[in-house]
Amino acid sequence: MHSDLMKVRRDLKTVRDPYSGNEYVVVLPIIPDVAIIHASKGCRSGEITTDATRNDRLLAMAAKKTIAVVEELVEPEAVLPGRQEVFVASVHIDAVVLAPGGAHPTACPGIYETDAAHIREYVAASKDEQGFRAYMGKYIFSPEDHGRYLEVVNFHKG
Amino acid sequence: MTNMATSTQPVQTQEVMIGAISSLLRDGEWVATGTLSPLPAAAALLAKMTHAPHLTTLIYGDPDFRLSEGFHELFALAQKGKIDVFFLSGVQIDKQGRINLSILGDYDRPTVRLPGGAGSSMLSALVRRVIMFTTNHNQRLFVPKVDFINATAADDAPWRRGGLSHVVTPLCVMAFDGTKKEIVLESIFPGVSLEEVVRNTGFDLGIGERHIPTMNPLTDEELAVLRGPVQERMRRIYPQFAASVWGS
Repeated sequence: MHSDLMKVRRDLKTVRDPYSGNEYVVVLPIIPDVAIIHASKGCRSGEITTDATRNDRLLAMAAKKTIAVVEELVEPEAVLPGRQEVFVASVHIDAVVLAPGGAHPTACPGIYETDAAHIREYVAASKDEQGFRAYMGKYIFSPEDHGRYLEVVNFHKG
Repeated sequence: MTNMATSTQPVQTQEVMIGAISSLLRDGEWVATGTLSPLPAAAALLAKMTHAPHLTTLIYGDPDFRLSEGFHELFALAQKGKIDVFFLSGVQIDKQGRINLSILGDYDRPTVRLPGGAGSSMLSALVRRVIMFTTNHNQRLFVPKVDFINATAADDAPWRRGGLSHVVTPLCVMAFDGTKKEIVLESIFPGVSLEEVVRNTGFDLGIGERHIPTMNPLTDEELAVLRGPVQERMRRIYPQFAASVWGS
């Protein structure tokens, strides 16, 4: 309420709460057309397990369509969340894509860590147009498929 | 310093800050730490293992801290009033204790665009105490007036539960004076001069005629606990930070 966001975000409105009489800021819900989330396990019907320290389940429930990229395709009875995971029901998932290493260069907790060296390389490359184009050419446009991408970035678990 | 008995290694600035933050935590409080907050995480663990055994620590990223739903649960806990202490930092902090995490310069044509305020505005109002921590101390950080306000230290919102309590920097501990609504200098760390703090702060620290004590933030026992069990826990939660402070 006392943040300068109220000056620069004209879409933010205030409303008087009829119960307490207090003035509150209200925002419209974000409803993505498509959410793409990364999951550790999934089955063909669209049930998945995903990291509990992020907000992927909330995102899947909010979006009009959700694509889950999974590390591993398993039988329905094996879609059980790990200690730091949550289960997401198939009603919130529209497509499952099997792509081990699909979160690279970010982490898939419990399976592989963030590739900090690659992210540093990207940050350096993205400082100017030429570097960014070179990065895109080497890592995004040249590899013919995801498997080849993982080879080019020297992906390894752990 | 007097801590040498427990170790041959000199006490490092990060350890001093951890000790200072730890001493600000009170037994029984619910203390939550967010992303990129290794100093507060270590401080919460140190406090719990020393003077505040009934502290509840909610350390984001700690493998031992399980969430049932997602990161937004931490925000919900704050809204519910269950969080006593949360930690924030800022790219700019001013005399009124306001913080800027959004932009440097003019909002529409900024010289630097930063990641943004995230939950800082809501959290600073709905937790009971905010402790700010900074990894440097200079006049670019401590400015007379922030370029953009993400969160205020105190204001008149009727639903506000608390606000800024202290600011811990590599040089000193500052307190928020709730009457004057201003940040004032509380104590300085060993080896730091008052002149150094004043020269590196872009606003008046309300020192006046007051004597500013030099605080010794870590007893021998606390240093031993920090370098023992706290360090072990930190290696699982913030491995890169732990390696940078205590070696790999």
